Amino acid sequence: MNRQELVFEQPRELFASSPVELDRGSRDQVRLLVTTPAGNRHATFVELPRFLSAGDLLVANESATLAASLEAHGPAGTYTLDLSTRYADGLWVAEPRWDPAHPGPMPIQPGEEARVGDATVRYVAPYPGIPRLWFIRSDRPLEPILAEAGVPIHYGYVQKIWPLDAYQSMFSRVPGSAEMPSAARPITPRIEEALEAAGVRFTSVVLHSGVSSLEIETDSVEQQAVYPEPFQVSRSAAEMVNRTREEGHRVVAIGTTVVRALESAWTPDGLRPRQGFTRLFVHPGNPVRSVDGLLTGFHDPVTSHLAMLAALIGLPRVMAAYREAIANGYRWHEFGDSHLILRK
Amino acid sequence: MENSSVLDPAPSPKMAPTERVALITGASRGLGYTLAEFLARQQWTLILNARHENALGTAAERLRAAGAVVTAVPGDVARPSDRRAIAAAARRAGRLDLLVNNASELGPSPLPPLLEHPLPALRRVFEVNVLAPIALVRACLRLLRSSRGLVVNVTSDAARGGYPGWGGYGSSKAALELVSKTLANELRDSGVGVVAVDPGDLRTQMHQDAFPGQDISDRPLPDVTLPFWAWLEGQDPSRVSGQRFEAQGTVWEVPA
Repeated sequence: MNRQELVFEQPRELFASSPVELDRGSRDQVRLLVTTPAGNRHATFVELPRFLSAGDLLVANESATLAASLEAHGPAGTYTLDLSTRYADGLWVAEPRWDPAHPGPMPIQPGEEARVGDATVRYVAPYPGIPRLWFIRSDRPLEPILAEAGVPIHYGYVQKIWPLDAYQSMFSRVPGSAEMPSAARPITPRIEEALEAAGVRFTSVVLHSGVSSLEIETDSVEQQAVYPEPFQVSRSAAEMVNRTREEGHRVVAIGTTVVRALESAWTPDGLRPRQGFTRLFVHPGNPVRSVDGLLTGFHDPVTSHLAMLAALIGLPRVMAAYREAIANGYRWHEFGDSHLILRK
Repeated sequence: MENSSVLDPAPSPKMAPTERVALITGASRGLGYTLAEFLARQQWTLILNARHENALGTAAERLRAAGAVVTAVPGDVARPSDRRAIAAAARRAGRLDLLVNNASELGPSPLPPLLEHPLPALRRVFEVNVLAPIALVRACLRLLRSSRGLVVNVTSDAARGGYPGWGGYGSSKAALELVSKTLANELRDSGVGVVAVDPGDLRTQMHQDAFPGQDISDRPLPDVTLPFWAWLEGQDPSRVSGQRFEAQGTVWEVPA
């Protein structure tokens, strides 16, 4: 797949800049675009149970969001250091940026140091194939510094720094994501109750999301380097997914992170419990086998997430849905509207 | 990662990185050098071995400039006296957290069919790729035990492929993989972990020797393996012991 195929015009006024509950009282007051083989339908998020059936399984991500954005002081001055993924004690992949609205690349040399809270971090090596990301080594654990001084990672389109709670969902349990796995954000207790009353079941996995906005830079989508993320698919989650599919019901992932985790635990005999780091890149050359649908948000042009959607239902239907969303003013990003994609 | 969940690791009681010691064979270039540089920039103490004294000296100088404490021990891992010198350097460092058996012998270039492989060359392949790693673990075992260290034996997909021409090198790596698995079981109660790591195809001199005259520029440089080494640094050696990992593979799995 050529990267050009994932390009579309995205009006900036469609970027959601604040949590919907501030204006409309509840997180579930967002719109829902439903894409099925029959086409696209416009709905509201509270109507979600109508589009699922008794026996269907929703799979959530239990990863909670860290306050992963820190202020660093180094040779380039004061800048933003967004932590992406923890590899070992004091060893992280991180993204240095001029500030939240202005990405790098920063003029950083291997071995360069910066002060972050009361820690000294050294830049060890750029991430192979993704030079805006760096391996950094700190002289003490960074978790206490995150707790003390970190703020949620945010970009230029948000109005202000919202509290960390705005970046957690009702499933968030295990801290570790640099950016919010945001697909579950509109699911409120009353939505969950309505789904359960409709016979929809829930299970969960863990995948700690790294920094997002990974734009594909290579001409061929498949050649893009993607970084790994920690994940865990438990025995009970694997069994529930397998049973749901044996019974002929649908497995619907809440978020692209869940698709990545489930596909990483997929075998020809179905899902098995598995944990570790996954480098799996789900794109049209690498078809999706573990899920029948995806509840997600709206993704930026030329991103790995868009390639995953194309793997799920084919690029023409993704692009038709996005034309429909843009024409009807659906809103983008973590505080935006929702998109339910069903293969059958 | 000492706790039950790999996703929620408690701060580990491990030594600070500046106090950790790694021994890497075949470290003057290619994969060995790339790993050494990655650890040097994290201020590990390094003991580096390679056959060519000048190349090793140059590599060690570059890493010292990065701020690392480096001991260069030139020598041939197949020679007992050279192995004794390597192990003595580790003893002087006082601990050993990581032993990477990376030095490997490919055999004649171009690679001959197995039945035409000169037997002295085949013996050399097995001495470097199988016997030397066993002997180095033996020589360093006391340090590895007291440091609860990790042994990494560098392997290859040739160990499993049965590719024509790769029979000598491949069978030695297959033997090394069984050595790794066996040592992992035999050392299970000692706290020492043993893993086999297949780095995947890389643009290195050894890969060029395997494909003389061919363009190998489509293979990635050895730094493509850095994310894997970073991940391995975060693993409890006893938890991953006995596993075979592919550094360029899709999933690096921790056994449940």
